[in-house]
Amino acid sequence: MILRYTFLRLLMLIPVSFSISVVIFMIVYLLPGDPIDNLLRVGSSPEDRAELVAQYGLDRNLVVQYFVWIGNMFQGEFGQAIVLRRPVADLVAQNLPYSLTLGGLAFLFSSTVGMTLGTISAVVRHPVLDRFMRGFILLGSTVPGFWLALLLILFFSVNLGWFPVSGAGGWTSLVLPVLTIGFGGVALVARVTRVALLDAQREDFVTLLHAKGLSSGTILFRHLMPHALLPVVTILALRIGWILGGAVTVEFVFGRPGLGSLLIRALGQRDYPVVQACLLMLALAVMLGTLIGDVAQASMDPRIREKKS
Amino acid sequence: MRYSTKTQLLSGSAIVAAGLLFSAAAMAQNVSIAFSASELGATAYNPVAASTLNTATSLIYDRLVEQDADQSYHPHLATSWEETADGMAWTFSLLEGVTFHDDTPFNAAAVQSWIASYAGTENEYLVEAIGSVDVIDDLTVRFNMDRPEPNLLYNLASAFMGIPSPTAFAELGDNFGVTAAVGTGPYELQSFEIGLETVLVRNEDYTWGSDLSENTGPGHIETFTFREIPDQSTAFLELRTGGIDLLLGVPTDFLQILEAEASIQIIQMPGVGISYMPINVTAPPFDNILVRQATGMAIDQEGIVAAIYNGVGAPAHNFLISSLPEADVDPALNVRYNPERARELLEEAGWVMGDDGVRVMGDERLTVRLYTANTTELTRLTQVVQAQLGEIGMEAIITVFDSSTIRDEYRNNTHQLAVRSYDWNNSDILDWFFSGNRLGYPNVSMWQDEEGQRLNDIAMTESSTSAERIANFTAYHEYVLSQHLFVPIYQPTQNIAFNSDAITVPDPVRGSRFRGQSFMDIQIVE
Repeated sequence: MILRYTFLRLLMLIPVSFSISVVIFMIVYLLPGDPIDNLLRVGSSPEDRAELVAQYGLDRNLVVQYFVWIGNMFQGEFGQAIVLRRPVADLVAQNLPYSLTLGGLAFLFSSTVGMTLGTISAVVRHPVLDRFMRGFILLGSTVPGFWLALLLILFFSVNLGWFPVSGAGGWTSLVLPVLTIGFGGVALVARVTRVALLDAQREDFVTLLHAKGLSSGTILFRHLMPHALLPVVTILALRIGWILGGAVTVEFVFGRPGLGSLLIRALGQRDYPVVQACLLMLALAVMLGTLIGDVAQASMDPRIREKKS
Repeated sequence: MRYSTKTQLLSGSAIVAAGLLFSAAAMAQNVSIAFSASELGATAYNPVAASTLNTATSLIYDRLVEQDADQSYHPHLATSWEETADGMAWTFSLLEGVTFHDDTPFNAAAVQSWIASYAGTENEYLVEAIGSVDVIDDLTVRFNMDRPEPNLLYNLASAFMGIPSPTAFAELGDNFGVTAAVGTGPYELQSFEIGLETVLVRNEDYTWGSDLSENTGPGHIETFTFREIPDQSTAFLELRTGGIDLLLGVPTDFLQILEAEASIQIIQMPGVGISYMPINVTAPPFDNILVRQATGMAIDQEGIVAAIYNGVGAPAHNFLISSLPEADVDPALNVRYNPERARELLEEAGWVMGDDGVRVMGDERLTVRLYTANTTELTRLTQVVQAQLGEIGMEAIITVFDSSTIRDEYRNNTHQLAVRSYDWNNSDILDWFFSGNRLGYPNVSMWQDEEGQRLNDIAMTESSTSAERIANFTAYHEYVLSQHLFVPIYQPTQNIAFNSDAITVPDPVRGSRFRGQSFMDIQIVE
């Protein structure tokens, strides 16, 4: 049943991927500026320009350009960066591991810490702790990433000297970026976990479990958590896109390489193939995240796979 | 053979201690540097073809000649040179025993092939006066000129005239400077991660440094790590916390804070550029020279230096940095703050003060578009310019663009005023920004003028001697000033900060910029 559901969800990704690829392909043509202008010698003739445009295939019909591009993408051919003058695949391969490491750790941090805090807050219903949690959740949801990054740098790097200010050398350089990206996620996951657990605690079966003499710990971990995890998994799946998007500013402030930094640089130079490849990778990550979230939800709740399949 | 536990422990401790000492020594031999904001984004270490180069380039490649801060020229790979009386030939004697990093020899043939490689590149203008290059013998080369070029030594001292290995250049093609960069310089390219960092390792064979360095080679430091840190605040904090040892291009805002740090020392060098406001002469109301002149008189350069830059740097009153002789123009032509006269000129042009403080002509308000690029320093300067224009009744609407889009806007001629800056310490910058052949960008003023072009041509191509060139460029500069095509604003200083607990830096700094020759004398503090 779950395999059939996963297969159907994979099929649904085809039209979504197609639509996204069209949007990504077109979006760079709607941007002002032109990579050819970055390559042309100042004072070049229109003939020189035309020659360069033809060299990069930018003189062809847009539909033809799209199919050439998407065909190449399918074969893993990302093309040559126009301004950065390297194979786009090399640039992506060089930057992707940094993004995956940062995003993965931030995801892990926000899920584990968020769920732990949410659970504590739901179980230990103390007014002071409750107020602290609400304040923390509000702060985490509203503090801008770049500002938080600077605060963390000032406190942990400048004042305490515990972590490097920037760069990508070793695990210590990952701590502050992970905290910055993960902070918002921690607050969100904590809030959702708390609400889901509080809702589940009001269910009749919980009263029955208590009546049967089960310990609070058993009820919490064996019976309440599976119920509460459903909305948490939904939120976590949606966070994948958010984490990758948030990494763009964090990479900038911490001077880290990654897809976000590469995207910003390529956008500034209107390096179309690089922009397209970065956007496509980010879109794919979001789609895969959503798919994993959906499948996880379906495996936990039979009603979902029955309804959707 | 068996050892006692005690012996084993002692040996182990000794090995660990030696290892720690060795690693500390190895670490100490690396110096980390952050590039200045204007140097970020170089895509290749290829002096022949690149349009953007950073400081690390000057350590990979040597040049034939070097320029000192006083504008004098010093021998480097060329030990001497001679120009014929008519300026139509230059003969250079080359240094013996120099080799490229790939062990191929540096000689006259290498120079011949290097000059030829500029054909068809962005940097061809540097050698366009050279008709041909003759190899006289292995260490003597003659440039046969198509016309006299008094600016030749300046060009040869440029970072864009670092000399690459002809063998590597031919073998690597478009990948030269990307996957490998081979010169004769004191450091070799070890790794280059675009947008992240460049690591250079000492060339142990190097013994041919110029007389601008005390140390002629090899360099004192084993490796230099040049980092690209896009956010200036982060770069500044890296210096404070010891993450980097040297910060090239410290923003003026940070100077006061850095001066308070005991371990940070700041070097201030004369600036090599200015901030200015080009005026689009084709966009009304600026097609009227009176309005242009009034706009120039609205800007209080001295006030800006005091208020925004805390008195660091100098006001700019014409288009060239003050150390250039061509900046010494008729004082009456210099652009100076005079708001009363500016208001009179606008009245003369028919713009009368409206009820809300904005001038009008009939139903038309004196509202103009003011563009700038998205850097903190430029946007802040533009806001002050906007306020000062408001004082004479001109309402300026600011639009901030990224560097690529703003050039597009210039080419599409949508701008009226813009605030921007340039870095160049030669008067031929006038040709770059005001030649009628480059309308839109870099000629943001969109100025096309018969007399202007005539004076430009004379200055660029008809000067036989250095004195003649200075006179011709001064005349061209004065004509440009008389047309009120821009408003000069500010001459920044070059600010370099370093951690004096970690390194020592030559004092005074030789050369017009802090580059290769200064890095040769950097040492680790013992």
